[in-house]
Amino acid sequence: MIGVFSILLLVAFLRRHKTLHSILPSSLNYTWVFFLLFVVQEISSFSVAAWGWGILCFIILREYFSLVDLRIQDRLGILAAYLSIPFMMHFIRTDWYTMFIITIPVYSFLVIPFLISLTDSKSEGAVYSIGVIDFGLLLFVFCTGHLAYLSLYSSWIAGTLILNIALCDAVSLFVEKRNSSVLKSTMLKYLIAIPFTVFLSYLMIDWTKIPVLHSVVLGLLTPALALIGTHTIKYFETDLGIHQVDMRPGRGFIIDSVKSVVYVSPIIFHYIRYFLL
Amino acid sequence: MIFSLLKIGIHLFILRPFVKFLLGINIFAQENIFHLNRFIIIANHNSHLDILLLFHCLPLKQIPLTHPVAAEEYFSKSKILFSLVNYLFSPIWVTRGAFDSQRDFLLKINQQIERGHNIIIFPEGTRGSPGEILSFKSAIGKIAERYREIPVVPIFLSGPERSFPKSTFIPIPFWNNVLIGPPQIFHESSREITLHLKEILLELSQNEVIAQKKRRRRTTTRPWSIAVLGIDGSGKSTLSRELSKVLSVDRSVALMTDTLQMYKEQQLTPTQPLVPEHIREMLGRYSKQATSLAFYKIPKLTELLLRDYLLRDITRWYRADIVVFDGSPVLNLTAWAILYKEELFNQSVCIKAIKILTADDNDIARNDQIYTDFPELSALKKMKLTHLTLPDLVIFIDVDPATALARIQKRGETTQVHETNEKLAKLRNAYQQVFQVIRSDFKVPTLMLNGELTPDELKSSSLDFIQTTVGKGINHE
Repeated sequence: MIGVFSILLLVAFLRRHKTLHSILPSSLNYTWVFFLLFVVQEISSFSVAAWGWGILCFIILREYFSLVDLRIQDRLGILAAYLSIPFMMHFIRTDWYTMFIITIPVYSFLVIPFLISLTDSKSEGAVYSIGVIDFGLLLFVFCTGHLAYLSLYSSWIAGTLILNIALCDAVSLFVEKRNSSVLKSTMLKYLIAIPFTVFLSYLMIDWTKIPVLHSVVLGLLTPALALIGTHTIKYFETDLGIHQVDMRPGRGFIIDSVKSVVYVSPIIFHYIRYFLL
Repeated sequence: MIFSLLKIGIHLFILRPFVKFLLGINIFAQENIFHLNRFIIIANHNSHLDILLLFHCLPLKQIPLTHPVAAEEYFSKSKILFSLVNYLFSPIWVTRGAFDSQRDFLLKINQQIERGHNIIIFPEGTRGSPGEILSFKSAIGKIAERYREIPVVPIFLSGPERSFPKSTFIPIPFWNNVLIGPPQIFHESSREITLHLKEILLELSQNEVIAQKKRRRRTTTRPWSIAVLGIDGSGKSTLSRELSKVLSVDRSVALMTDTLQMYKEQQLTPTQPLVPEHIREMLGRYSKQATSLAFYKIPKLTELLLRDYLLRDITRWYRADIVVFDGSPVLNLTAWAILYKEELFNQSVCIKAIKILTADDNDIARNDQIYTDFPELSALKKMKLTHLTLPDLVIFIDVDPATALARIQKRGETTQVHETNEKLAKLRNAYQQVFQVIRSDFKVPTLMLNGELTPDELKSSSLDFIQTTVGKGINHE
């Protein structure tokens, strides 16, 4: 695990170089962060890594809130969104699945509009604000929370997933450079990624302890989900004002780096939880 | 020396990590300030975090040598805060509004500059509204004019106005952007320097895309409403339907008659179920079966109120461009008063009633006689049901009650309680008065049609009227 982390850290460092910047996918910027958390978990415990997961969720959410246009009176709702992170991490740490699964979609969902309603009597734009806050909380905190929960079960499963996603992103970038129609390009992205992801999933069986059949299924599923995730988040990246030029933390760098992970993690987590646990 | 090192240590290990990791900061063009030994920083001011952010940009060695200008009366509210700020930032305290304050302020600044220290000034003088740059005070021009050899560094801050705006107590994490402009050396007069600096700061703010990002909001526009008035049997339902069909050629039209109908491309289109609409239909059926005017009154009143209420639902759900009313709720309510209190009904009452029903009644006293004569208006007002919509266009079909009655009987339907020659005559009189009032006092475009005309003639005249009144807004075949 430490070896993989070291390689990924090196890759992220190398990606800063102009020539490698266009060859390596943006997800490699943050892949090492996930592996750092897995290493921390392996060396100490998940309780220690949970702090890191919380900070990671906070960093992603902070970037999202900095990009969207919210009203001054939404501050209490934003604060509540930030404060839901430690609660979620606590439920993950204690493996309290039922509370984890409802904390954000139910309690935060209900609390945030209430708090916003307390701060100001002017309701104009409130629905928009509540929607924006809830969306960010669900996508960037709750979904990242699923990956954290997956790593609680097995950091190797979570690590394999992260590597698979990085592979898919690398293939996508490779295919995108060759001009072809959207449909053909999408099919190519999926079909080319499959051998890599299936092979990696199979290769990691000794560590992940996932049966061969399920490893193959996950290898087939991950590229499709990564494609959907990348497409979906890219779609609203423009609306958030994220541009590929002048990418830096606070201006879309973090969201762009984790976009596939946040989308794929919940589905893979529930697949594993349903079939394998 | 030790105090200076301790101050640098606090900045380095406490304040900078706080700004960097909790709030987040992006510094653009830091090289503009890093190589300077002497400088005067000017920045826009929206938040108390501004000082923290500006100190974050400074080289460490400049921290003990830099003094921001700060309002003494604000920070002296708390002795601890005052001492803390005084130690960490060594500000030049200024008492706003005090006699000779500007002279003292300039004196303090001169002292610090002549000691070889640097200063940070917020030329707006106070924290302005987010996204706005207020006019600059003259002091900055005077200082820059006096110390022409010291470069002035303009800095634009965005983000602190969201993280820690005015009148809030807790900073919320948001990324902050610090855009450092090139250092400026001036040779103009103090007034010109002040204006020039403001222009530079405005230019920096223009470059800051995030600061300029505007909130996107979905706007809804109120549809045009056309009301067709007339007594029962005048042909208003037929005309409303025909108009709806014709007007729906290239837009969506909602027809509010006994039922709510939507027309698109001259075709009746299905509508999604609306609860108020079902209640309205039910009340409409009930009122038609009423055996006396007393039983007719409440259901009809409710039905008309619901008809107006539905206008909001139509705007929200169906996004209709035009709403054609088969009878207008506000005008019908007014006209129907004649059936209950004929002796009190006149044009003055009509004006007042319409004003009350449309919540345009500021000039009507609370103890006005109309509330005594028509307690229904008082009740509606108390229940806050007097926000009815006045139509944009009114078409009135004037027909002789005898003709109308003949048409009603020809339909073969059960006659309603008010469908007698006498009552229809009263209603006709009432509609005529309402029509006059609407035209003369409320300046609503109106058209009176002879009810004896054929349906095609009625339709043609109405469409001409709509076309000439609305102009390019609505076209018809």
